[in-house]
Amino acid sequence: MKKSYEKQKLKNRKLRWMRLDNAAKIYPAARRQNWSNVYRVSVTFKEDIDKNILESAIKKTYVRFPSICARLKKGLFWYYLEELSSPPEIMQENSYPLTRMDKNETRKSAVRIIAYKKRLAVEIFHSLTDGNGAMVFLKTLAAEYFVQKYGVKIPDEFGILSRDDKPDESEFEDSFLKYKGNVKASRKESIAWRLGGDNEPAGFLNNTCFKIPISVLKEKVKEKNASVTQYLCAVMMMALQKLQKERVKNVLKRKPIKVLVPVNLRKLLKSNTLRNFVYYTTPEMETRLGEYDFDEILKIIKCKMGQDITQKQMIKKITTNVQSEETLIVKLMPLFIKNIVMKAIFDAVGERTACLSLSNLGKIEVPESMREFIERFDFILGVQATAPYNCGVLSFNDTVYINFIRNIKQPYLEKAFHDCLMDMGIVATVESNRIGE
Amino acid sequence: MYCVSCGVKLEDSEKVCPLCLTKVYHPHIKIPQGESLYPSDKYPPRKMSLKGILAIIAASFIIIALTCLVCDMRFSMGTWSGYVIGALILLYSIFILPFWFEKPNPVIFVPSNFGGVILYLLFINIITGGNWFLSFAFPIASVMMLILTAVVTLTRYVKGGRLYIFGGMFILLGLLAMLIEFMLVVTFKNLSFIGWSFYPLVTFVLIGGFLILMAIIPSLREKVERKFFI
Repeated sequence: MKKSYEKQKLKNRKLRWMRLDNAAKIYPAARRQNWSNVYRVSVTFKEDIDKNILESAIKKTYVRFPSICARLKKGLFWYYLEELSSPPEIMQENSYPLTRMDKNETRKSAVRIIAYKKRLAVEIFHSLTDGNGAMVFLKTLAAEYFVQKYGVKIPDEFGILSRDDKPDESEFEDSFLKYKGNVKASRKESIAWRLGGDNEPAGFLNNTCFKIPISVLKEKVKEKNASVTQYLCAVMMMALQKLQKERVKNVLKRKPIKVLVPVNLRKLLKSNTLRNFVYYTTPEMETRLGEYDFDEILKIIKCKMGQDITQKQMIKKITTNVQSEETLIVKLMPLFIKNIVMKAIFDAVGERTACLSLSNLGKIEVPESMREFIERFDFILGVQATAPYNCGVLSFNDTVYINFIRNIKQPYLEKAFHDCLMDMGIVATVESNRIGE
Repeated sequence: MYCVSCGVKLEDSEKVCPLCLTKVYHPHIKIPQGESLYPSDKYPPRKMSLKGILAIIAASFIIIALTCLVCDMRFSMGTWSGYVIGALILLYSIFILPFWFEKPNPVIFVPSNFGGVILYLLFINIITGGNWFLSFAFPIASVMMLILTAVVTLTRYVKGGRLYIFGGMFILLGLLAMLIEFMLVVTFKNLSFIGWSFYPLVTFVLIGGFLILMAIIPSLREKVERKFFI
């Protein structure tokens, strides 16, 4: 009786709606026929997933995350999010991750929960939240699953939220608005070199995962006095440099090698938000000046990151975006015109300023009582709209997982990246979703 | 297992080296069967773009209309293309236009389409120099519009009562048959067969009456449902 009353109460509750945060606004406008900005975080358990228990865990968890278990709706002037009235359904895995999430799907639910054998994956349209917010949701859902399946007690720590509590208002905050300043940064950035290849038919995406023991990587990183992100970024730029050298023989025709590295602003500016709160820095090397060795590249990256990843610089950068959103003429522009303008800006400058993104979620921590049930975590970005690659990184237990995604047939970058790792004396184990030729 | 071509260390699940696309092979070692990362044969269904199809249909309507206009101007001095273009516009607005909208509202589309029909009839009346629009076409089309608009409005915004609504509609359509005959007699005079409207009137009233009866008597409704459910 009590259960059915609670169910009724859940059904009749007033659904929360939220404005999109400052960073989220570009994604609905920028999507196209064969591309939408979706990424995946996943956790692989040690046993096969029991779908009935997972369903029950989703039911308990989804109301706690109204800004993530949400759908994207259109207003006259802006898009907005509306929390889901019923829990998202468990979907089946496809032969590749991150299949296109079209408008109809985001209108129903902009989040997918996918169960495949031992793996629980969450695919999220980027307007809802960033990788850090998605990881909080995934860990909380996994924790609820373990509680229901094994009857263990899992403390609410390391980003796991209590499912019995009401969502806190600070979790819905648009922290970009909170921290905007008065001084704007310039948007001017050089256009980066882009790698090309033969497109895979029917939108197939190749996912290649490099697994490196963390102890090996830590040792190398320590030698160079760098961070893991800086080190991997340097390897990536080294690989890109090698590829550009092979493809563009005329040195003067070469374009800069740039890698976009997202920065979690929650670590710099105090925020509890579960919405997007990342900005980025773009280490760059001008390859027309000649070939760089690894140490030179690392030096550029350290310098750029050191300069950019400070409170003041980040505030300056986010102010540029927030101020353009707050212009009266932009506010009053009907949504369909805004979409055209934003898409044009995105195509002209948005993505072309980097060869690819290298997003590192860092070390994934979970409570000890949960660790024994988990084999690994993965973070997979979708490809860029007009470039074939992206790369997501995280580490769990004693392994770093580097997930490449690409929509072209040839694994140029993965091969070059692997060669560079080998040159550094790092052996990676490789796996992919490619079944055979 | 290592790739025989590029030497990459591979997971047991790999059948092909992901970096050089060489088949995983070793003459002396039996390749272990690791668990694959993704299912091998599960692809999302490919969707056709509805908007694209609609744009093609719209373009073909425009091409037909322009071809007729050009031919008519070239060979017949503009005598007949108006009928074709009018009919094309009507066909398009009735059958194709609603698909451009996410949720087409029939309460808006039904009267608008009847408005289009009335205008088309007026156009024909003017061009042919007929004298039947005001005394026949306009009142008949208007009454039809009122009946159908009332039905779609009630169906859309009133919960339940479908049998009453459709029952009422059939009775009104029967009466409309009588009105049509009356207007025909008034407009065209010398008609040879008078009284035909009695047949549709009786048929429609019977159907409408039966639907209303079903609405009133639940046991009858249940019996009919049991016999005719699909």
